[in-house]
Amino acid sequence: MYLQIGIISLVMVAAYALAKWKKLSVEISMLAAAVAGGLVGAFTNTPHIGQLARHLVEGSFTYLDVILVFSTATIFMAIVSESGGVNYVVRATIKYFYNVRIIALILLMIIVLIPGALTGAGSVSLLVVGAPVALALGYLGIEKKRAAAILFIVAGLSAAAPPVNIWAMILCAGTAIPYVGFELPLGIPVLILGTFTVLFLGWRRKEKQNLEVVLKEMPEIPPRMSWWRVLLPFLVFFGLVIAYRMWPFSTPILGLALEFVIAALIAWLVSTKKIKILALSRDTMKRLLPLLATMVVVGMLQQIMTVTGVRGMISFAVISIPLILLFISLALIIPVSEGVLTYGGAAIIGIPLIWFLDSIGLHATVAIAGLSLLWPLGDGLPPTALIGRLSVMVSEYKDSYWTFLRSTWVPWLVITVVGILMIIFSAKLEFLVRWSM
Amino acid sequence: MPLIMIIYYVISAFLVCMLVWNFIREKKNVNDMFLYLLVLIPLVLRILRIK
Repeated sequence: MYLQIGIISLVMVAAYALAKWKKLSVEISMLAAAVAGGLVGAFTNTPHIGQLARHLVEGSFTYLDVILVFSTATIFMAIVSESGGVNYVVRATIKYFYNVRIIALILLMIIVLIPGALTGAGSVSLLVVGAPVALALGYLGIEKKRAAAILFIVAGLSAAAPPVNIWAMILCAGTAIPYVGFELPLGIPVLILGTFTVLFLGWRRKEKQNLEVVLKEMPEIPPRMSWWRVLLPFLVFFGLVIAYRMWPFSTPILGLALEFVIAALIAWLVSTKKIKILALSRDTMKRLLPLLATMVVVGMLQQIMTVTGVRGMISFAVISIPLILLFISLALIIPVSEGVLTYGGAAIIGIPLIWFLDSIGLHATVAIAGLSLLWPLGDGLPPTALIGRLSVMVSEYKDSYWTFLRSTWVPWLVITVVGILMIIFSAKLEFLVRWSM
Repeated sequence: MPLIMIIYYVISAFLVCMLVWNFIREKKNVNDMFLYLLVLIPLVLRILRIK
């Protein structure tokens, strides 16, 4: 049995490597691995060849809810950005807090955190607010390399921040743990680590410019734009989320996707600028395509790994590693799995890992939160390096990618230590989950 | 069928329309065309209520 599953695993790895060598995208490479694994498994009827297509299609459904949340949340944020709301907030931050550096930096961090926290994708944060925030960081006298490093780390943390954390959603879907109680276990470390990152990397000022000149250079905001127009859609969204928590028996269960649609409609209605909603939605779906395809393919891969027994073997390998070695190796395994498989790493390594940690008495929800802090770091690692490349792009940093990545080493190390400690002491931090509910 | 479920079908149909629109407009990038088809699988089957 081990030989058979071992061969299937090797074929899957080889198919992935071959596809990458042929310069195919990560999504298609993962699909190639899934199909190859299924075909080899069919030799021993795991799965039966006639059932292979059924398994692939069934796997594509695994993250349908995540796909809906992802799409609607990103369309919502795109409307807020298109209406001029993002430029308005960034401009106000510089206007009122240019001379109070600590507040300006923390506010800019929060601006980057919000889109990623709502959509679950750090790349959305960078696409929506990355450029104006990078510009503002430049006006605060932060050199481009450090601005790119801040954006990379904070955008990564935004993806881990509640209410939408895709890694946690994948782990919860795969381990039958409800996706509840993550607000404090994720929110508190994200805010602390984000604040540390912006202050550590952004405190040193290269040069100080005149505020009048800075404001003149910043992007213009549409006329009649005001605070209430920016805040109302967010208040409606959080109001709907909180209403269900406060009155669970009298509030209909709308779900995150519908809540984002309602907030998007409000943002569209209060915008002072005419927004072509169909064109905007179409462009948003185009930008989201690689992430949506990853979700579909990861579901397929997960289904094939389950039916062929590969997932079970990985689970067995995970529980066989000595505990201390396992905790130490997380610092490497988790980011590298993200760099190679993006969200697939959560399904392949994360799910068995959580089963194991749960079985030895650790608290699964807090452990998932701890792991969620480590995965975004991998978004700076090749071959994908999605958030890393975007950070460099929006901050217009032109030097070596590795020099940029090296400049993130202190926050990277601190986040890794915090994430691993959260996993080790998850049972003691269980009160955070209780307080979130 | 409850109203909220109907709305979810409408949301799925809207997303399918956007994806199909992009797929039709995409003339050069074969990789993207293939990815559009992949993403459409669960959404179209859900609208058709095929599990």
